[in-house]
Amino acid sequence: MPEHHHHHNPYDPIPMHILRAYYESTDRSLKTFELSFDKQADSEAFFKAYNPGQFCQLSIFGKGEAPFGIASAAWEGEFVRFTVQKVGSFTEYIHTLKAGDAIGMRGPLGNGFPLEDWKGKKLVIIGGGCAFSTLYALTKHVQHPQNRPDYDQLVVIYGARSSGLCMYKHDIQSWYQNVDFEIHQAIDVPEEGWLHHVGYVPDVVREVAPSPDNAVAIVCGPPIMTKYTLPVLEELDFAPETIFTSLEKRMKCGIGKCGRCNIGSKYICKDGPVFSLAELQELPDDI
Amino acid sequence: MNYIIEKKQLEKVLKAWSADYEVYAPQKAKQFSAFLPLGSSDLALDEPHNTRYPPKSLFLPQTEVLLRYNSRLNRLEDVEFNPKQRILFGIHPCDAQAAALLDTVFDTDEDNDPYWSNRRRGTLLIGLGCAEPPQTCFCTTVGGGPFNAKGLDALMTELEDAYFVEVFSEEAEKLFADLPKATKEQQNLVQKVQKSAVAKMAPAFETEGLKQKLDDNFDSEFWAEISESCLGCGVCTFLCPTCFCFDIVDEVQRSERVRNWDTCMFRTYSLEASGHNPRPSRKERTRQRLMHKYSYWLDHVNEIGCTGCGRCVRYCPVGLDIRAMLRAANALEMEPANA
Repeated sequence: MPEHHHHHNPYDPIPMHILRAYYESTDRSLKTFELSFDKQADSEAFFKAYNPGQFCQLSIFGKGEAPFGIASAAWEGEFVRFTVQKVGSFTEYIHTLKAGDAIGMRGPLGNGFPLEDWKGKKLVIIGGGCAFSTLYALTKHVQHPQNRPDYDQLVVIYGARSSGLCMYKHDIQSWYQNVDFEIHQAIDVPEEGWLHHVGYVPDVVREVAPSPDNAVAIVCGPPIMTKYTLPVLEELDFAPETIFTSLEKRMKCGIGKCGRCNIGSKYICKDGPVFSLAELQELPDDI
Repeated sequence: MNYIIEKKQLEKVLKAWSADYEVYAPQKAKQFSAFLPLGSSDLALDEPHNTRYPPKSLFLPQTEVLLRYNSRLNRLEDVEFNPKQRILFGIHPCDAQAAALLDTVFDTDEDNDPYWSNRRRGTLLIGLGCAEPPQTCFCTTVGGGPFNAKGLDALMTELEDAYFVEVFSEEAEKLFADLPKATKEQQNLVQKVQKSAVAKMAPAFETEGLKQKLDDNFDSEFWAEISESCLGCGVCTFLCPTCFCFDIVDEVQRSERVRNWDTCMFRTYSLEASGHNPRPSRKERTRQRLMHKYSYWLDHVNEIGCTGCGRCVRYCPVGLDIRAMLRAANALEMEPANA
């Protein structure tokens, strides 16, 4: 007789509520949300699976879903952080949410960064704009005293269009006190009182010139930044196997079913979003 | 074990099954035949070609509710998953093979799709082989055959006044246990019918080395040439038994989250919020359709993602023929990769 399988339904959002919501940028285009779980069991399942570099679908009934990179490390607490840029009607709605409001979440989705493979290596973390969020999670993860010994030197290069758009300001400011890693922040055009780099991320990378010895570089940013940063890393002799990036596509299901993010034999949502440059070079030019 | 259903007994047999199962069979609908619940209309088992709508819609409906929510935007109870067991009677081997291919996408250990799996696992496929394959069919070219058993619980071969049934699963065995057993004579006859059907199907194109040809010619002008007359209507994908792409949208007035078939043949399918579209013209979209079936499926499960059902050939409004496209691909010169 029929065997009815009542599996976990991967389309069913996890019930969450907003713990904290605060603007990240002075122009209020970027807002950070920290979500907590309504049910303890969901929290446990999430943190058992979570790896920095993964993303979630934020889900609002009647509005839909959209993918966002996770901006927090597990050790920070039992919450999940996202920084949402207001770009369309869905994100505009999310921006209206405040502490205590309910929201759905599906995830963690995707592969995340290959942290095991990176153990013992120097990490060169290069980010631009709000795509820096998952790199922030990565940096936070590595910073934890329990994880820090697993990695060699840490170099963070982070660019934003202006100082007002720089995210996670207070925390990043404190990184300058850290002796065991380098932080380089950049904005596109000079501003009074700005003490750090001025210029586009690829140029800052060239200026900082991190050594490729025993190093991996992780690049996340707008497509144009990534496009011009990859050749700089190749100039610096980073091999394609040691350069990683995260792709963003129109992902709907997030679990490799709906077909939307298919590029060549890969589904970005399931096989990615993190790929090495060597892997990307194997894919057809359909990105 | 092999059984016989006499044609004059067929109605009675199907009715008897209906007590325990929802029975679907190809029936004559207003404009074209389709897999419908038994009793909807006259049976259309005698049509040599496939139903226009592929039976995949019984596992992955064209539109389907995933979740219901209330006015306060809280999630409501689970959507009911077709609790009754079903029989798909008269499914052609190409469509059964397509269902088996789609199992590799939906019925997975990790992130199993419960909507697909619950329907699919609760459905018996009683196939009907094709003694007279229409000229649009090319299953033998892509690794199938007009009497292939893959994905089927049982396979029928039509004889003059009866159906000869080969049974492959225990569950299906229960259905036929009370029916007369086939004779040796009938079995010999069936072998002839099956052999002769295969012999009627000339290879439509060469598949050996085809994937490599397509991969190597990803940037070729070939794609622009073969897609020149394409209207971008998407019928080739909507009626394809192996196409599975879908969109998820919230139907606000009904308070439902639904998924709808979608297609890579539409411009909006790949259009991103930034305005960037990786597949801006029909050239890239046609390439995606063919590459997915004849290259990417092979990377995933080492099988071609086309079962040769011929619907895309039969129903293309401008007469585009995937077989001709693939013959043209085979005729291309090898280009060095990344040329």
